[in-house]
Amino acid sequence: MAEVKKYWKGLEELKENSPIMDNLRQNEFASEMPVEDFLGNGEMLAGAQTSRRDFLKYLGFSTAAAALAACEAPIVESIPYVVKPDSVLPGVPNYYATTYYDGHDFASILVKTREGRPIKVDANREAPFNGSANARVQAAALSLYDNSRLKAPLKDGAEVIWSDILLEVKNKVANSKSTVLLSNTIVSPTMSSAVQQFASEHPNFRHVSYDAFSLSGKLDAWQTLTGRRALPLYDISKVGLIVSIGADFLSDYNGQSMTSDYSKARELSKDMARHIQFESVMSLSGSNADKRVRVKPSEQSQVLLAIYNEIAKAKGEATLSSPNLDAKLMKDATETAKELLSAKSSVVFIGGNRKDDEVICFGINKLLGNIDSTVLANRRSRLRSGDDSALSQLIADMNSGKIEVILLDSVNPVYNVPGFADALAKVEYKVSIAERLDETSSLSQIVLPMNHGFESWTDALPADGVLTIGQPLIRPLFNTMQREEILLAVMGVSAKYYDYLKNFWTGSILTAGMGWNQAVHDGYYKAELTETESGEQSYELAEDISTQLSASAKGISSLKSGGTEIAFYQKASMGVGVLSNNPWLQEMPDPLTRASWDNYLTISASQAKELGLENYNTSNGSLNGSKVDLTVNGVSLQGVPVYIQPGQTYGSVGLAIGYGRTLAGKAGNNVGVNAFMLIKDGMHSAADVRIEKSAAEDHEFACVQLHHTMMGRDIVREISLDTFLNKPAKANGEGWNERTTFETYEGALTSSEANLWKDFDHKTGHFWNLSIDLTKCIGCGACVIACHAENNVPVVGKDEVRRSRDMHWLRIDRYFSSDMNEEVAHESNIGAIDMFNAMEEPSESPEVVFQPVMCQHCNHAPCETVCPVAATTHSAEGLNHMAYNRCIGTRYCANNCPYKVRRFNWFLYHDNQDQFDVNYAMNDDLGKMVLNPDVTVRSRGVMEKCSMCIQRIQYGKLEAKKEGRPVEDGEIQTACAQACDTGAIRFGDANDTKSEIAKLKKDDRMYHLLDEVGTQPSVFYQTKVRNKA
Amino acid sequence: MNHEKQGENLMRTSFIARSRSLLFIVLLALTPLVSMAFEVQGDAANGKAIFNANCASCHKLDKKLVGPALGDVTERRELDWLVAWIKDNAALRASGDADAKAIFNEYNGLVMAAFPQLSDQDINDILAYTVEGNKPKVVVNGGGNNSPDPNTAASGDSNLVVLISLSVFLILLIFLLVKVKNTLKAVKGDPTSTLLEDSNFWTRTILRSKSFIILASIFVSVFLLREAYYGMMGVGLNAHYQPVQPIAFSHKIHAGDNKVDCNYCHSSARFSKHSGIPSTNVCMNCHMYIDGSEIQTETGELKYNGEKSPEIAKIYNAIGWDPENRSYIPDYEEKPVKWVRIHNLPDLAYFNHAQHVSAGQVECQTCHGPIQEMEEVYQYSPLTMGWCINCHRETEVQVESNGYYAELHAKLKEKYGDEPITVEKIGGLECGKCHY
Repeated sequence: MAEVKKYWKGLEELKENSPIMDNLRQNEFASEMPVEDFLGNGEMLAGAQTSRRDFLKYLGFSTAAAALAACEAPIVESIPYVVKPDSVLPGVPNYYATTYYDGHDFASILVKTREGRPIKVDANREAPFNGSANARVQAAALSLYDNSRLKAPLKDGAEVIWSDILLEVKNKVANSKSTVLLSNTIVSPTMSSAVQQFASEHPNFRHVSYDAFSLSGKLDAWQTLTGRRALPLYDISKVGLIVSIGADFLSDYNGQSMTSDYSKARELSKDMARHIQFESVMSLSGSNADKRVRVKPSEQSQVLLAIYNEIAKAKGEATLSSPNLDAKLMKDATETAKELLSAKSSVVFIGGNRKDDEVICFGINKLLGNIDSTVLANRRSRLRSGDDSALSQLIADMNSGKIEVILLDSVNPVYNVPGFADALAKVEYKVSIAERLDETSSLSQIVLPMNHGFESWTDALPADGVLTIGQPLIRPLFNTMQREEILLAVMGVSAKYYDYLKNFWTGSILTAGMGWNQAVHDGYYKAELTETESGEQSYELAEDISTQLSASAKGISSLKSGGTEIAFYQKASMGVGVLSNNPWLQEMPDPLTRASWDNYLTISASQAKELGLENYNTSNGSLNGSKVDLTVNGVSLQGVPVYIQPGQTYGSVGLAIGYGRTLAGKAGNNVGVNAFMLIKDGMHSAADVRIEKSAAEDHEFACVQLHHTMMGRDIVREISLDTFLNKPAKANGEGWNERTTFETYEGALTSSEANLWKDFDHKTGHFWNLSIDLTKCIGCGACVIACHAENNVPVVGKDEVRRSRDMHWLRIDRYFSSDMNEEVAHESNIGAIDMFNAMEEPSESPEVVFQPVMCQHCNHAPCETVCPVAATTHSAEGLNHMAYNRCIGTRYCANNCPYKVRRFNWFLYHDNQDQFDVNYAMNDDLGKMVLNPDVTVRSRGVMEKCSMCIQRIQYGKLEAKKEGRPVEDGEIQTACAQACDTGAIRFGDANDTKSEIAKLKKDDRMYHLLDEVGTQPSVFYQTKVRNKA
Repeated sequence: MNHEKQGENLMRTSFIARSRSLLFIVLLALTPLVSMAFEVQGDAANGKAIFNANCASCHKLDKKLVGPALGDVTERRELDWLVAWIKDNAALRASGDADAKAIFNEYNGLVMAAFPQLSDQDINDILAYTVEGNKPKVVVNGGGNNSPDPNTAASGDSNLVVLISLSVFLILLIFLLVKVKNTLKAVKGDPTSTLLEDSNFWTRTILRSKSFIILASIFVSVFLLREAYYGMMGVGLNAHYQPVQPIAFSHKIHAGDNKVDCNYCHSSARFSKHSGIPSTNVCMNCHMYIDGSEIQTETGELKYNGEKSPEIAKIYNAIGWDPENRSYIPDYEEKPVKWVRIHNLPDLAYFNHAQHVSAGQVECQTCHGPIQEMEEVYQYSPLTMGWCINCHRETEVQVESNGYYAELHAKLKEKYGDEPITVEKIGGLECGKCHY
């Protein structure tokens, strides 16, 4: 073997696995400096023996070590494939259509892979159902590279061989007197038929499914109404009026993603859908409503009943007995009923999980003729089918020792079902099919690690008429098996799941036309709607439901209400907590509270005052809040932090589920409290609540927004639909979207006319612009995570977020309206200072606006002029460039940025395990596989900011050049625009006159953020239009 | 060490193979039906050309390749039979010829292409070449080892000898001239001075001269500063970096002598940011047939004694090719070749080959230098930002030939008139084009 010449290296580099070099690579500081040791203790220091010589030794060593670290010029090896797969071209991404289902979220997605590594999740917009990816689905790419996943099958904590352990479990199941398979809703038609078949052959086997956030009550209601235990699909794309009572249908209602339909229904025209929301906790849906009424959870049912009665009265139907409703609420209910009656088409949603509510809600929709138009009763969503009564029966059986073997199929009931842990202890033989050693699998003797979804073949029947296929995107990273294959093996079928799945599909599904390869390629298959599949309940819409209605009305009347009630809700970032160990999601600020890394008790300001609870900012601006001891249904949680939430109904509190994991992994452990333990009978709210101020120290929040109102500025411009339709945008200063002018000697000039600077030439070549429609933005945060994934944005952890050092390139500012404005101040003779003080206070029942803010790419950028080293410069294509390696970290640019979008790397966030362990996308060899290889990972001491996904722009231009054609409109998308389900964010070349963005730029609603500053941004906003009555 | 052993093994197997074919020939000779070698009338030189163009991909003279070795074919077959076989072997087999069928079956029904275009004289020429080409070559030295070229080694030594003798001569001359001077002085009656005294005088005079010292110090300090400046500027610059690669791959042979298109191996350069180091299966496209045994030294001897090249053997070792059985070894654990990367741009700079090769139509040599002349590749360009920027300032964009620029070109023309449209003018100097 020829000797390889090596250049420019330290001696240590010669040795393989040299601990010194490893150490130098791993640690930011070359060696531990024992400063604490000899400066920490003054007394010891006085009598210390450390001589000058010792000091010089330390000094000498550290200098030498630093020098050694600096002379690194390693040999870089380039190792090509031996046999290159045809489809892989290093440096060019491949996209695969697949299916994502984690027991809660379901989406048809496209996954971008680079050199065989999945790095980015996008929505599969062509898919007929849930072709959208919310923040959690977007973040799933990172969870694939989670090093805390299980890496081999375990028995009693020791690693075992797959074949042995599968055989053992198989035999055990075959011979046991009673075996139970506990799973989430199984959406795979292949697997559900396999499980059904096995159950029919084995009388000792039973399958129980449950949903973490139960919808069992609603399912029961639908069973009585249609004969089928399934929630319907909804079509709100053309609806005229949406009335939601406590339902956060934009986040999670029946598993169906309704965001893009919502956006379609709310296209600006005289037919724009109106949205009325009654709710207790401020939800994503509620914050987007045109009218929002605060009610307590128990009042939701009463409002629903009141609306029913109003409509029944108008339609000449029998009314139902109803409890007395507060006069104000009665008025709102009556008004809503009137609107429903006059609306061309409408839909009514009811939140929670109460059977009675669902029946009444159905009654309303039926009276309004919504069944089969907006409420597709005959088209089932099959994503939620959990049965709580079966689950309670199971727990009872387990407690009485009737269950011999339990198979826990990727569920975590110890975490999310109260009382399950005790019952589980009484089962003799526990087998967990799990992704990690979580709360449940750690209590099982046998743990069978399963593949991540991106390593598996899957299929799904998420809704009637839609079938999807999921293909693996990478070979299993660890010694894990496909979840379905494990189950099949346990049930005695030894087959590769791919073959089994393909057989099932070619045999039972792909009967006409479409081939298997095409179905895998597309990721979905549109099946004919069959009436009823064999073995399933037949659909029979109940004609006369008066008995059910009156029974439900009676049920509602007898509902207990409490002085203070609690509602449990899901946060947009965490859902039910499946992806707890995903630092991107943990750090994603909640759309409404803007707090990250936490859940908390939301409470109204007036009730907080009564209870002596407070939120306050510390001297560095970070938020602190009181803690309370919370008792719900007799279960107590100590030290729950309190967040004062504008819009929270007085007499109600809210608590997000999905937090308080103890064995999720380093990012998810011990974040927040576990609200699941307070849930009783699967109800999403409870009336039996006791709140006491805790003696514990105040809680430290990591909240990224300190000011909650716009304080009289027009940061977000908002008008009513009536104004939009009937009044001019520009009318000599009288329109609703006028530009600010300045009086000069040349007359009144706008900021771009009264201009000191030389203008850039933006007529030649591209001019990349971004439009953000504030009417369409619902604040869901999918763009934030998409940006994280695309641009290698670091996660900094709770402590740093608290210090306002979050690194998000894209933030979604949320503003509450205030009761105070200039008119009110004028009328009631309030002085300017008092007025501004009052403006800072959000209203108790505020209107909410969301505003995504990223670098505005100013064409007269304040940051560019102050950079002493020209690290941030302007491009001819309208972008504000940031050259990281030129940056010396003066932070002048951030200080001079009127939009506060620049982010400074205060620390080394990558390769710095000591300090930023949770940021495993950058500190763990496995986690690093998720990084986008086209984007630099920034180092300590440099500024960074939104680049408008310049890597995508460059890539798109190059593709066009390679093909010798101009760039087509829509071909290049920024990550945020691509992730946006509602189409609020639009990107394109404004110099392409035919492009959508060029039209948007000329739109009446277009305005620039802080236009009066004269920055001339390439990003612009579209005025929010609220459909006020 | 390993390689030597491997070589030994290979030699042994080929010896066995040869002794087998010898036995085969002896057996053939004993068969009365087959006559002994016929006299071949043909032009061996022309034959070699035809052979290389038509036959060499499947046949060798001394060794079985896809088809049988042809070195001794004239001793085995009749001329008429050979002509018939070469022109259309399928017809010959169809005619029921036993030998033709036998050889067809021996090679598992592998069909040889028909060559109806070859004239009888061509075939005679080829056969003449098989006889000529197969005559054993006189091997002067052992060969096979990579001993350095003796000429280049000698030239280094001889320069030193010349320099030393020259300096000895000059020193002698000084002594001689001093002697002559002293003799002349002595003749004239002047006092003589020794060489030492002379030099002392001059040294003293010079060292006492203030202006000399000032000049000298200025000179020295300027020199040192210059060295320091270039030394500092050179930190991190790796131009001429020429690491030893795991396989002594010669771009000169491939791209230079044999004119293989760069894109054949570096195929992704047109499509991707990476030029792509060819995967081993690309090497095998050619090296399945070329095992290096025909490589000759400058003196025309076989470099590896007719054995396969140890460097090419490394490819076989990586991918698991068995050259003896001419097949891939089943379930072979592939051993990827660990090339040493020569051009290392820092992570902070984004470079895309496709942009330059496909869109820019830039020749590979513009940045990589005369790669077709490099036995061992080195980094030709400094890869500094100044170097990039300079090229972007000077290079004209291929606006005419690319539809992407159609509209842009019209606008640029309006803006710049007849000035050339350089990369700079379309934003090629902007930071964000390469740094993101």
